[in-house]
Amino acid sequence: MALKVETRGLEKKYHDAVEHWTRHNFKDYPVLLASWDKYFPQDEPFCLCAKLELGTPDTISVGELKGEKKRLKPGEMSESQAQHLLAIIKAQASTEFGSIQQHAGTVDRARDDEDKFWVLRVMAEELRHGYQMLHLLLSEDWSGVSGGVTGEQMVEEILSMTTGSHVLDSFNLDYDSFVDNIVFAACIDRVGKYQLTMQKVCAYKPMADSMPPMLREEAFHLAAGVIPMRRWAQKAAAGDPFVTMTMMQHALNKWVPRGLEMFGDERGGDTNVKFGFKDMKNGEAQALYVEELKKMVRDVNARFLRARFPEYGPEQAEQVLAELERTRDVHRGVHFSDLLRVPDVRFFRRKGENAFRMTGLDGESYEDADAYLRHLAANLNDGYVASRDLRNYAEALREVAAGTKTVEEAVRAMPRLKRVGGSCPCSKGVRWVMESPGGGQETVAVR
Amino acid sequence: MPDVISAVRIRPLDELDVDGIVRIDEKIGGQYRPETWERRVVFYLRRDPGASQVAEAGGRVVGFMLGDCRAGEFGLEQPSGWMERFGIDPEFRGQDIGRRMFDAMCAHFRAAGATSVRTLVSRDDAAVGGFLRAIGFGDSALVALERKIGE
Repeated sequence: MALKVETRGLEKKYHDAVEHWTRHNFKDYPVLLASWDKYFPQDEPFCLCAKLELGTPDTISVGELKGEKKRLKPGEMSESQAQHLLAIIKAQASTEFGSIQQHAGTVDRARDDEDKFWVLRVMAEELRHGYQMLHLLLSEDWSGVSGGVTGEQMVEEILSMTTGSHVLDSFNLDYDSFVDNIVFAACIDRVGKYQLTMQKVCAYKPMADSMPPMLREEAFHLAAGVIPMRRWAQKAAAGDPFVTMTMMQHALNKWVPRGLEMFGDERGGDTNVKFGFKDMKNGEAQALYVEELKKMVRDVNARFLRARFPEYGPEQAEQVLAELERTRDVHRGVHFSDLLRVPDVRFFRRKGENAFRMTGLDGESYEDADAYLRHLAANLNDGYVASRDLRNYAEALREVAAGTKTVEEAVRAMPRLKRVGGSCPCSKGVRWVMESPGGGQETVAVR
Repeated sequence: MPDVISAVRIRPLDELDVDGIVRIDEKIGGQYRPETWERRVVFYLRRDPGASQVAEAGGRVVGFMLGDCRAGEFGLEQPSGWMERFGIDPEFRGQDIGRRMFDAMCAHFRAAGATSVRTLVSRDDAAVGGFLRAIGFGDSALVALERKIGE
């Protein structure tokens, strides 16, 4: 049921560009729409539109401008404020479209249709969130701070991005199996929830008004991750040979470090608060995120124990769980290592204050790079271990350990998606680049 | 009875509340039904996130109230709130937690344009019926009808 929400569409050519994008990146989109009533009976039909909450606060609640009227146009913000926000919106947009591309690679490998259609709905709603961000870019004039880049060019840039593809011979974080679809939703969409929640206070009102409808949809995305994880824990406990706690743990080990880094450097975030764009700094939000992950993992573990020992009541299962966490020992054949755990916040980090520290899953320190890489290999899934992403990380880590590269240089050496181009909005002209010490860019792969 | 009335926080349901709800249901009914509540929690988060409420004390869910706002059913075109399931940890009863969850739910329904809240209760369930009347429910012009169709 819609609350007080105004829906808006993009100008036809942009709307068509987004729909065109789905043909290349979200092939099951028409299937989802045709099957909507079967999997989501009585739910409101999907709307590819921007939704703006009505009746939100008009006054800035945090930062240096606290108490002033919220800004309605980019031109009402200072140049640095508008530039900063423009970067946030573009980053948010690319993330929304990027996650669809990641999901699309493995969504067909779902073990059952319900899981698959839940993920398809998540993808459709991410599409809407991307559309929402495009609406923010196109509904007002950002030319004063965009460096001459027009709205049309910004849309083209965003729709041209790809966050990883098995065709792309470069650094990427492809999903390796449907386990990634689920654990990504549980862990990475959770970061999204934090970002959206923090941005509800945004001093730029159209951005703030965009957040509540997106957050409501995000609630289902998190459930689409957590509930299958709970069901898988139950199956693993029952001895299903194809579902194990290890496969979920390996996916957590892959995604949680990247999720932590999505908050930005633990020491930063002051500018967002100062400008009134967010109400928490990076480190504060990240700490809450970790606590939530621990709660999620504990619940999944409790589900596992109740399924393994159906004769146990809730208190007894909780006691056993607490005992296993404390002793890291074994209880009637269940080892501590059979349960899930949230990796140490320093584990497998390549950005932020813990970048390239060689900290193990449980916080243990490594001195030798190869020993650390073996530790990673033992705790990540085989498909990911064999990826270019991990190879690039290993090369950088060895150089840091050998003293031939500083941590800062290694962080910069991690390839990432940058400027793209092309005439078609769904152009494949994407580049993976490494930043050079002088601030320039070196293209390492072009699709 | 724990003296926690001031420490009980009412907030919208989220996906990590399943365990707490399962625990309350098990405490009340004696059955462990995780699948049931996993399905229901997803359903309500999907249908009307923000409508369903939980009560939390000391980081633990001690009450829940699930429902959604919808229109177009039974000839009711005007949006109506529907309160469908609720439960309160027996150790936390008598502390107005049910009313506080209901108030939060009603605030959401009002924002969605509803002017009334509906629910169904068994005539035989005096406890639940009493609670519903205590928070303001009265007889409805709508009557619940039922016909057996088994052999």
